[in-house]
Amino acid sequence: MNAPGWLQRFLNERYNMEVANTFIDKQMHKRLPPHTGWLHIFGSLSLLLFISQTITGILLLIYYRPTPDEAHASIQYITGEAHFGWLYRQVHAWGASLMILGLTLHMIRTYFMGSYKKPRELTWMTGVMIFVVTITFGFTGYLLPWNQIAFWATTVGTESAAKVPYIGGWLQYCLRGGDAVTGETLSRFFVVHVIILPWVLTGLIAVHLFLMRATNLATMERVGEEKKTPEECGIPFFPVHVAKEGVVAVLLIAVLVTLSVLSPWEIGEPANPLSTPPHIKPEWYFLPSYQLLKYFQGPYGAFMGIIACSVPFALLFFWPMLDRGKERHPRKRPLAVGFGLIGLISALALGYLGHVSGLEKSYFGARYHFSEKGWPTRIADDAPPSDSGGH
Amino acid sequence: MTQQSNESTRRGFLDVFIGICSAITAAAVTIPGLMYLWPAAKGGAGGEVEVKGAKNLAKGESEILQVKGKAVLVVRTSSGFDAYSAICPHLGCLVKWEGVRKEFLCPCHAAVFDSKGRVVSGPAPGPLSPYKVKEVGDKVFVSAV
Repeated sequence: MNAPGWLQRFLNERYNMEVANTFIDKQMHKRLPPHTGWLHIFGSLSLLLFISQTITGILLLIYYRPTPDEAHASIQYITGEAHFGWLYRQVHAWGASLMILGLTLHMIRTYFMGSYKKPRELTWMTGVMIFVVTITFGFTGYLLPWNQIAFWATTVGTESAAKVPYIGGWLQYCLRGGDAVTGETLSRFFVVHVIILPWVLTGLIAVHLFLMRATNLATMERVGEEKKTPEECGIPFFPVHVAKEGVVAVLLIAVLVTLSVLSPWEIGEPANPLSTPPHIKPEWYFLPSYQLLKYFQGPYGAFMGIIACSVPFALLFFWPMLDRGKERHPRKRPLAVGFGLIGLISALALGYLGHVSGLEKSYFGARYHFSEKGWPTRIADDAPPSDSGGH
Repeated sequence: MTQQSNESTRRGFLDVFIGICSAITAAAVTIPGLMYLWPAAKGGAGGEVEVKGAKNLAKGESEILQVKGKAVLVVRTSSGFDAYSAICPHLGCLVKWEGVRKEFLCPCHAAVFDSKGRVVSGPAPGPLSPYKVKEVGDKVFVSAV
């Protein structure tokens, strides 16, 4: 991993390269704890996806036009006319979902292995911020194709903001750039998606990586009793761990292209501000919040729902401050592990109920209609199928 | 001693002075930026908006239109026309008029309102806002109350 000779000579004649070389050498040959394995690649996977999103995003920007009259048509042009435009659009759309999945798995691994504990609290907190920013990326990018689903999902999403006490109306007006979702909203979301968030995320990732390298990966030893990994039993970052990341990168490209070909994202109908389509649902990563909001009704229902949706993120962020026990091994942390499992199962259950709500589904030969709150009602066998049954 | 005290006072004064100047400069740069983000007021067609297809509506049928950029449903009743905001007070989806059931139904979270816009069931925290309807000859106009 050395620069070509001519480049080294060029740099050495002009700069004191010893400091940089020592730093790079130390980072490349750093020893990782012996238990570092395939479960530790989700962070790198998310980083690779961020790089992929940046590259495909720039390519899409070349043809995309952020106005209500042109946005949908420009997406059609990218998909149907531009060389390989369909591929870049699909890789970008699938990459967004996979990046959130990768981050979720990375956080699950970190949580259950107790890696967020001292001295890595700030690493964890920047990680939660990266997760929130990535979700915001998904929310702002979702509107850009300006199709029906995007338009109404954004209407519902920004309407939720209005339920925040005191500043809700102001917040919603600012987010939308007016009373309703219009071209002004599209412009704002576009700027946030392609200029503000990429820089914020780049900064957060830089801080996260710096903190991660500064404290090295966590071992499974108790807080304060971690021993420095000896040279002879640690796993070299280069080439062993880098090779694993290379394998992940190749697999990732294969998965992205396969999903793009076999399960492409539809462009959908252009946005119509005078017609809400039935069964509007957000992306899978918003489904738990979407479903949770439905259980809070009455004058303060939406506000209470927003509080209920925000609490898990606040708990995640401050978790290293709340769980101050010294043990890292999951078997020695029954409370934290139980709490984590309850949270995870609740999110999965709410997500599934959000997915099936308002639809008909068949299980073991029987048909059920799921209410908006997700309660199933069996449908008589001779009843005609409704239009929602096939979803 | 006195000279040092004087210098300390002078230094303290300069610190405060520079702090105030920095704060004013920061405010002068930030406030216009925040004001720029605040949307300039505008809305679509306002005042009275004509319901173009009003006379073609049969009893129990509805038409949707925009008044000041906001969706409004006009319903033909046995006695004339009623108009209500089509925006569901729950999360902003547009309700549809179900002529047979004489109810407004939100397709997003199944909020149901009666023909007067009152909540029948579902998560809506309040009724649909009514709009004023005026008939002039064979023309129908809708405006905000």
